[in-house]
Amino acid sequence: MSERSFLYRWQPLGRGVILALFSLLLVAYVAGPVAWLVSSSLQSEADITAVPPNWIPPKVMWGNFEAIFTAGQRTVTYENRYQGDPTAGRFLPSGAENLLPSVWNSFVVGLWVAVINLLVSITAAYAIAVIHFRGRQTALYSILITRVIPDIALIVPLFLVVRNLGLINTKLSLIITYLAVTLPFTIFILISYFEQIPRDLYRAARADGCSHWQALLHVYLPLSVPALIASLMFAFLTSWNEFIFALILTQNIDAQTLPIVISGFVMDFTTSFSFVNAAGVIAIVPPVVLAFLFEKYIVSGLTAGAVKG
Amino acid sequence: MARIRCEGVTKRYGSVLAVSALDLDIADREFMVFLGPSGCGKTTTLNIIAGLEQISDGEIWFDDRRVTLIPPHKREIAMVFQSYALYPQKTVYQNIAFGLRMRGEPAGRIAAKVKAAAEELEISHLLDRRPQQLSGGQRQRVALGRALVRNPAAFLMDEPLSNLDAALRVSMRTLIKKLHRSMGTTFIYVTHDQAEALTLADRITVMRNGVVQQVDTPEGIYNRPLNRFVAGFLGSPQMNFVEGEIREGATGYVFARGEFVLKLSPDIARGQSGRSVIIGLRPEDVDFISNRTEACAGRAMLVSPLGSEQHINVQTGDIELIVRAPKEARIVVGDQLRMTVDPRHVHLFDPATEMAIKSSS
Repeated sequence: MSERSFLYRWQPLGRGVILALFSLLLVAYVAGPVAWLVSSSLQSEADITAVPPNWIPPKVMWGNFEAIFTAGQRTVTYENRYQGDPTAGRFLPSGAENLLPSVWNSFVVGLWVAVINLLVSITAAYAIAVIHFRGRQTALYSILITRVIPDIALIVPLFLVVRNLGLINTKLSLIITYLAVTLPFTIFILISYFEQIPRDLYRAARADGCSHWQALLHVYLPLSVPALIASLMFAFLTSWNEFIFALILTQNIDAQTLPIVISGFVMDFTTSFSFVNAAGVIAIVPPVVLAFLFEKYIVSGLTAGAVKG
Repeated sequence: MARIRCEGVTKRYGSVLAVSALDLDIADREFMVFLGPSGCGKTTTLNIIAGLEQISDGEIWFDDRRVTLIPPHKREIAMVFQSYALYPQKTVYQNIAFGLRMRGEPAGRIAAKVKAAAEELEISHLLDRRPQQLSGGQRQRVALGRALVRNPAAFLMDEPLSNLDAALRVSMRTLIKKLHRSMGTTFIYVTHDQAEALTLADRITVMRNGVVQQVDTPEGIYNRPLNRFVAGFLGSPQMNFVEGEIREGATGYVFARGEFVLKLSPDIARGQSGRSVIIGLRPEDVDFISNRTEACAGRAMLVSPLGSEQHINVQTGDIELIVRAPKEARIVVGDQLRMTVDPRHVHLFDPATEMAIKSSS
């Protein structure tokens, strides 16, 4: 075998091995913590803290999840609180009964944020990307510049505004706040997407008799499904994961969201890692379901064939 | 069906003047072509007529209806684009039916109209396909179908054939001309292709830098250009331009530049002796197989046979002219040639204004 044919035969293989190796590294980096979260949610406290750690639960325990779903029916009293041993499974930290209501709160807030965000950003992006009105650049920059300010700097003024409006500890305060956070991004995403749609399609639609609303509805939206889904998911997930604003603006389970309630399970004296991790698994289920549902839509290339080529 | 008038239409983008004080009167059922190089404002003018661009000044009328502030979807216009602009998510049928649906026509009538248009354009077998599955020519037929089912007041076309190959372009040109005949609608057609303009137009509007240079019939534009730009823009190969001066000789008025001397029509040249001018000579107006005495001498520098004719670059004095010769002419590089031009075919332009110098009679 000559040196050349040796190279031809083995070079692609070598490249494949390197690609596979780095892909595995990336997967381990990204998926490792999630795998540990899921695995440990099914382990007892002793198994979790074992050295070396158990990646696969030695004994699968559903007790944490059972505890979460029955928490509402169990009364935690001063006495039985201390009877519960974190290492035994079915341990209930105080406030455990708030977990499921907070999932609902997160869901309601996230849904409203996603829907209102989409309605507002679609119309705003269409106006800026498609209608050549005077001051559109200024409009775009003034929307974007609000995101230059770090959230933490806004906390105190925002708290004062919300308090003066009498909205402290309401879901509405969270919805309004999260809209302000997510809208600039989704408007920006949609503007870039709308601008990619050939301008001739807009001209054709208007000549065909579409008003701006109809052009948006019949031409722009059907061609922007991937961007719309991406915006929807971005808004929902931002709202679902957000911590610092929710911490400041809510006080009890009337409005508290999942991250706030889960963080409350880390207590001074006893922290059940298995329970916290089980709650963590509950917290990541909706995003994962969303991602699987919409994965096939987040594929570009819908505009192929619109214009020449 | 509409007469379309633009009165002093001006369009500015910031400090850039895209269209400047445009006055235009397009007759009902006329086939008007806007011709000019890219960036001359012809597409902007079309968009203005369609209502897709707001104008900075002026008025637009469709018949007696002032449409200056009327949005495009209420102007009853149909458009065809260079990029076809078919809706990619819709089938061919839905593409053609879309404009009718937007007008709320009943489904039965839409189906009948789409069917009729598809038959006329020979795309009946494609109605269930999507634009991605069609060739360029088929796509442009669909785009035409989308416009012609509508029975619009005006049919606006923005370089519709520029993306097609040469053979298809010629056949589509014929199709468009037939459509204009059969529809009896005002057509406005934007192109930078002079062949399209000359073959299709009832009248041509030549534009440059947002300013109308000349509005005339194809024959008038070609034979009586108002300025040097129009003269140079139409014709292939381009008109030859030579700078020199008018002199009065023993045999009458001549144009002279060194050894290059051409007889001029006394109608134009009378009393202009000594004036410096630019003359324009169309390659086909030079007759160079002649032994008349006023002929001037030249040498063939380059011969480009094109099949149906030949283009000869001829050096005479310090200038080089491109001249058209019949295909059977046997000319080789280096040949000495004698050329003559009918004085009626010599165009004269003022070197300063570049405007045509008209005969005084």
